[in-house]
Amino acid sequence: MNVVPLMLYAAAALAYGRHFARRSAGAGRAATMLLMAGALAHTFIIGMQTVTSGHIPVAGASPAVSTFVWLLALAYLYTEVTTGERAMGVFILPLIVVMQAIPALHPGHEDQAAVLHSPWFGVHVSSLLFAYASFALACVIGVTYMLLFKEIKAKHLGVFYERLPSLQVLDVMNRRAVVVGWIFLTVGIIVGTIWAAQARIIDPTDPRVQAMSLGDPKIFAALVCWAVYSFEVVALHMSGWSGRRTAWLSIIGFVIVLVNLVPISYFLTTSHTF
Amino acid sequence: MQILLVGVSYRTAPIEMRERIDFSTRLKPALQALAARPASREAVVLSTCNRAELYVACESPERAKADLVAFMSAFHGVPAAELSPHLYDQLDADAVRHLFRVASGLDSLVVGEPQILGQVKEAFATAAEEQVAGPLLTRLFHSSFAVGKRVRSETGLAEGAVSVSYAAVSLARKIFGDLKGRRVLVIGAGEMGKLTALHLKSQGIREIVITSRTAAHASALVDQIDGAVGVPWEALPAALTEADIVVTATGSATPILDRAQVAGAMGPHRNRPLFIIDIALPRDVDPTTGSLEQVFLYNIDDLQAIVQENLSRRSGEVTSAETIVDEEVGRFAAWLRARSAVPTVVALRQRFEAIRRSELQRLEPKLAGLPPDARARVDEITRLLVEKLLIGPTEQLKALPDSETMTLYADAVSHLFDLDHDGAGAATPPDEAGDPADRHRARRYPGRSRAFPGADDE
Repeated sequence: MNVVPLMLYAAAALAYGRHFARRSAGAGRAATMLLMAGALAHTFIIGMQTVTSGHIPVAGASPAVSTFVWLLALAYLYTEVTTGERAMGVFILPLIVVMQAIPALHPGHEDQAAVLHSPWFGVHVSSLLFAYASFALACVIGVTYMLLFKEIKAKHLGVFYERLPSLQVLDVMNRRAVVVGWIFLTVGIIVGTIWAAQARIIDPTDPRVQAMSLGDPKIFAALVCWAVYSFEVVALHMSGWSGRRTAWLSIIGFVIVLVNLVPISYFLTTSHTF
Repeated sequence: MQILLVGVSYRTAPIEMRERIDFSTRLKPALQALAARPASREAVVLSTCNRAELYVACESPERAKADLVAFMSAFHGVPAAELSPHLYDQLDADAVRHLFRVASGLDSLVVGEPQILGQVKEAFATAAEEQVAGPLLTRLFHSSFAVGKRVRSETGLAEGAVSVSYAAVSLARKIFGDLKGRRVLVIGAGEMGKLTALHLKSQGIREIVITSRTAAHASALVDQIDGAVGVPWEALPAALTEADIVVTATGSATPILDRAQVAGAMGPHRNRPLFIIDIALPRDVDPTTGSLEQVFLYNIDDLQAIVQENLSRRSGEVTSAETIVDEEVGRFAAWLRARSAVPTVVALRQRFEAIRRSELQRLEPKLAGLPPDARARVDEITRLLVEKLLIGPTEQLKALPDSETMTLYADAVSHLFDLDHDGAGAATPPDEAGDPADRHRARRYPGRSRAFPGADDE
């Protein structure tokens, strides 16, 4: 089922690519339409799953990734519609396509354990996934900032100079995405702690609950993430921190997020196996 | 009716000649004078510093061309013998192609320059005001605006700064986005600095700070620029810290800003980048400054290099632009052809209608006995029948691929149906071309073509 949005996202990715390469306005509009169609299909699927199971489909690595992609698509559509900038599409869509391929090819299923039925759990995961979507945007913006910065610094003005908005605009977008992401990350981690305490009461025998400690890779990685982004949020307000450095932080932070979301979730964690 | 272009441009005439035949100060009288001449039915004059071109719609191109040369010669007082070697002329599709290329910026000194499209629009607007531009030239010029717009939006022909000044402003925009809240520091009070400052001001910069080693020069410049503020030379380090963009153009033989000074201005408390435009020769700013983290340093060579890159990128876009022009010329030619079929189609339609009417008339005694709605039905049926009979041949005629075939078929239809009308496909001018009544009819006649069903598209 996740294949349908995947196909639409892939088509949108190609359209964004064409829009970027050939400055074709038609391709740009087609790209936005395809992305909207993909997001709509995705919304429908997630909506159905929510209605069937009673909560947002996040209890499992694959459903979580799918929900993450959905949130990212919506977040990007929001920035595109409000800023009118389509240049980012060519950078964001490939990420969306690659990520969506995971749940499409490896559907997995939702874990129905009672311990997961608490609303705290839903809030915990949704909040984190939204944070990750925001960080993904920030990362892509950071990448484009670096590309544009390099072109201007090298005095070799190429395709990024032509297509991307100004360094200033990219910097502002980066900051916003990081701050929004950090807020949701903090909320998500706090709620996660609350839920973990609750889970110990509900079902102390569940091995995953027992594994929940700072030693668990997923929890540890999440805290490292939080540290990196907290540092970036503080650095944003410190003087002497250039746009380029914050761009780097956004990129590094999201790499950690990706590592946490995929390899750790699927292979290394013992507390977050679903 | 054919489209004729006669003119000169920077390609065929030096500035001394172009000066003498410049219409721009006497455009309206020129248009009126052209309209009064029998050879041209419609006229538009395009006069810029690089070209003077007359676009006319005429019945007899040879006659019109001679007439236009005589007109230009007489209007400007330049002997025809002197003028002729510089003139070029184009007819029909070639004239259309020329105008489309001009409007797209393909014929400009700097390929893709933005002013020409506005100039073409103005030229047409003036002719329209003077009621000298008829339906043929109106359609032509409106198409040229569309082509110009297409080329600009679908190719990179008009992209990228092609002057040092624009390159600097474009960079400033790419770094800072909206320039409104930014501050410019101008070091040195010479002409180059002033021009760049004024250009930046026109782009939205509100705060301009000027300093010079000679205080008097600085104040003189401050007076010339609205809203600018002068600071003493000693305050340079502080001014540097506050500035976002620095323009230096002093005559100093040695650099006035070294790396340490700029690094000091970038200090620990500064988050914003610094864009330094060093247009002085010898350079005012130590080149190693460019390696500082948040400093973008551009000297005159760097800006020139960008201009060159953009120019060569534009020339790479020429092929795509020419393709678009080709497409649009084809489209316009198809419209012209369909239009030339109109007289025949109209006459045929009129003939069929006349036959229909006369038959209904003949049958009047038999129809008189019918109730009114039955009679109306009969009327409608005959009308629909005529419509159905005509629609096939009409579409076929208008879709013919070239003018010769169209003339052939139109003549055949005229002959077969014994149609009596003017100018169906024939290119021979009426001998009474000088007769005002004829010209009035010819003027009125093309105007009606818009009202005829199927005669117009788009």
